[in-house]
Amino acid sequence: VTLEILLMWATLTFFVVATAMFVFGVIFTKERLTRRAVLVTAAGLVPQLIAIGVRWARVGHGPYIGYYEVANALTLFVVVFFVIAAWRNARLSAAGIGIMPVAVLLLGGAMLAPKAGLPLTGSLASYWLFIHVAFANLAFAAFAASFGLAIVYVLRERSKTGAWAKRLAKLPSQESVDNLTSRFVLAGFLFWGIMIASGAIWANEAWGRYWSWDPIETWSLVVWLVYAVYLHLRFTMRWRGEKLAWYALLAMPLALFCLLGIPIVFHSLHGGYIGGAEG
Amino acid sequence: VIRRALRKAVAALTSAGLALGLLVFLTAWSAVATLVAQGDPASQEVAAWAAAHPAIEPVVAAIGFHQAFSSWLFMACAVLLGVSTALCAWKRTRSAMARSRALARARQLDAGSLAVEHDLEVALDPAMTAAEAVTTASRVLADLGVRTKRRGELLTAVSAPWTAWGSAVFHWSLVALILLVLGGNLFRSDGLMGIPVGQTLADTPVAYGLLHAGPLFNRDGVHRSFRVDAFDPDYTTGGIDRGPSPTVSVLDAAGNAVVTQRVYPNAPLKLGSLTIHAAAYGLATYFSLENTAGAVSGRSLQLVDFSQTASGGTVPVGALQISDSAGRVLVSCAITVPLQGPARNYVQSLPSNPKVRVVAVSPQGGLTVDKLVKVGETVSLPSGDVLKLDQVGYYARLSIVDDATIPFIYAGLVIAMIGLGISTLSRQQAVAATVVEGPDGSSLAVYIRLWRNAATSRAEIAAGLETALRPVKEKSDS
Repeated sequence: VTLEILLMWATLTFFVVATAMFVFGVIFTKERLTRRAVLVTAAGLVPQLIAIGVRWARVGHGPYIGYYEVANALTLFVVVFFVIAAWRNARLSAAGIGIMPVAVLLLGGAMLAPKAGLPLTGSLASYWLFIHVAFANLAFAAFAASFGLAIVYVLRERSKTGAWAKRLAKLPSQESVDNLTSRFVLAGFLFWGIMIASGAIWANEAWGRYWSWDPIETWSLVVWLVYAVYLHLRFTMRWRGEKLAWYALLAMPLALFCLLGIPIVFHSLHGGYIGGAEG
Repeated sequence: VIRRALRKAVAALTSAGLALGLLVFLTAWSAVATLVAQGDPASQEVAAWAAAHPAIEPVVAAIGFHQAFSSWLFMACAVLLGVSTALCAWKRTRSAMARSRALARARQLDAGSLAVEHDLEVALDPAMTAAEAVTTASRVLADLGVRTKRRGELLTAVSAPWTAWGSAVFHWSLVALILLVLGGNLFRSDGLMGIPVGQTLADTPVAYGLLHAGPLFNRDGVHRSFRVDAFDPDYTTGGIDRGPSPTVSVLDAAGNAVVTQRVYPNAPLKLGSLTIHAAAYGLATYFSLENTAGAVSGRSLQLVDFSQTASGGTVPVGALQISDSAGRVLVSCAITVPLQGPARNYVQSLPSNPKVRVVAVSPQGGLTVDKLVKVGETVSLPSGDVLKLDQVGYYARLSIVDDATIPFIYAGLVIAMIGLGISTLSRQQAVAATVVEGPDGSSLAVYIRLWRNAATSRAEIAAGLETALRPVKEKSDS
């Protein structure tokens, strides 16, 4: 346990340092610092992956159960998504200023949560768990990426030709950032949809009901509909720019609340996965 | 007039504004509904919520918010959204047909047809050969995210025609899912049945403790029964505690077991459209009633549920009533089984030496008997009868669902996700280019159709190609 926790603190330290480097790199327009921040972020993934592996071997299941494990897995997916995007297109590195604070807050919250390993219960013991959780993580990572890009879009748009416009000048054009934001939303919408569909099939196998309007089911549908509205505004109503960026900014916290907040706030059939109250 | 009205109705139903309005309304309604106790207005939970929120309860009750997802307003909006989605799917189908035809046609483009049909013509630097121009154009397009194939001096990047169908398939699947869910409820039977270990109950409405059957569900054609063969209160397999697990058999009309299976979470018993889950479990107590002459005049089975909040850890399921020959109730008995362990942390299993508590109440409500009995012991009732505890064991409460639409719902979900995946991840584009000779020299003829998920725009392609290919003189002029 000690090794695992030490590795997780090391990960958090890497991510905090990377976040500071992104902030300084962008504010003082030090492009090299921003590029190195991506490397520091990637380096932080090494102890995190080892810690998850150690824990997996110890508790006998992946990072699925309990606030600590769920927040840890969400952070992993968010950071991996961002590192891949920045590696494929170095000009996106500066978006770390919007994405890495999310990762740091998530992991910080995880480190403060109880870390005792919870056993896999009978209702969770299914291959659907892997599919359902993997797509929840992928969806959140995509929404977090759209959130980070929306932040830089709004910062640049508000600044116009001011300081932030210069600081974020290395990023792709506003039009490209706008397009990328909506493409990440599209990807997140698909992954979230698969999460809901796999969850419905799994619920029917586990409990005999594919949909029971449980608070988590309802809120996962709410989040999906919120992003469906975004996509209709974007592709049908032809909305562009700052209004839509604000929408992406405000939608992501809903997804986070659905994954981590609802099981704590509401009595839910699904409460067990986060250590909350089961209905 | 009718045609015009119809056209207006269709235009309204296909409008993005209506779809968005319905989406926003259903989203807000669903989110707010999670803050309000859901269930029958007479239920304990709803009553407690109403007592805690007296100021808003009248409004909540008036709009049917305690049954938010079956209220007329929610259902009306869901149906309207379904109709809007169907019309939208139809529009998308027409668009997909046109695009897939265009993509199929674009795959047939060759140098000859491109010379006639193109959207953009970029004059080439006279010093550049046709092969060099095509190589440069390929590089420019690749930089813009358009990866081309080269056949001689022809460049093509044309998506497969099926990529045009993603959005239409997704929207039609949503329509199918809405219809399946609504239609499925009409044909579905969903109930809870408590069966003691070793007992068999026929699949009849009276055997269910709770039953929701759709108006079109045909129970007359059902001739089967269910038996609980065994019960393991703590079944473990694969190193995982599966919890209380009954072994269940489904019997045909002749009483032959068609299938027998241990049932636990993620391992339901399935037989055709029938699915059986173990929803809960409790204790079953068996009594015989002896008259004053010592002869057995009747037998009774009483189910007992676990409850951490109840005194002793169990609550009776119904009451054991003793009536006279005229049917008048002489005495009503509440049966519980005190559990081991401290209050609110009772061990929810059959005690090692179970004692059953019998509390008998007269029709006037007066307490007449309160006694703990072991198996084989008796309780004398004020009616003169004697209750004898014969046996205590487990019972399993089975969730029995008969719904033939479930495989279709699964298929609908999978097809919807495939459609959404195609719509989200695949590009719909047709870009082709070749060098053509004209009276003013050579130029690059470019055919461009960019629809969904294109990496670039027509303007970017034009600007990129002109910068890379235009004559040197013009370059220096600029």
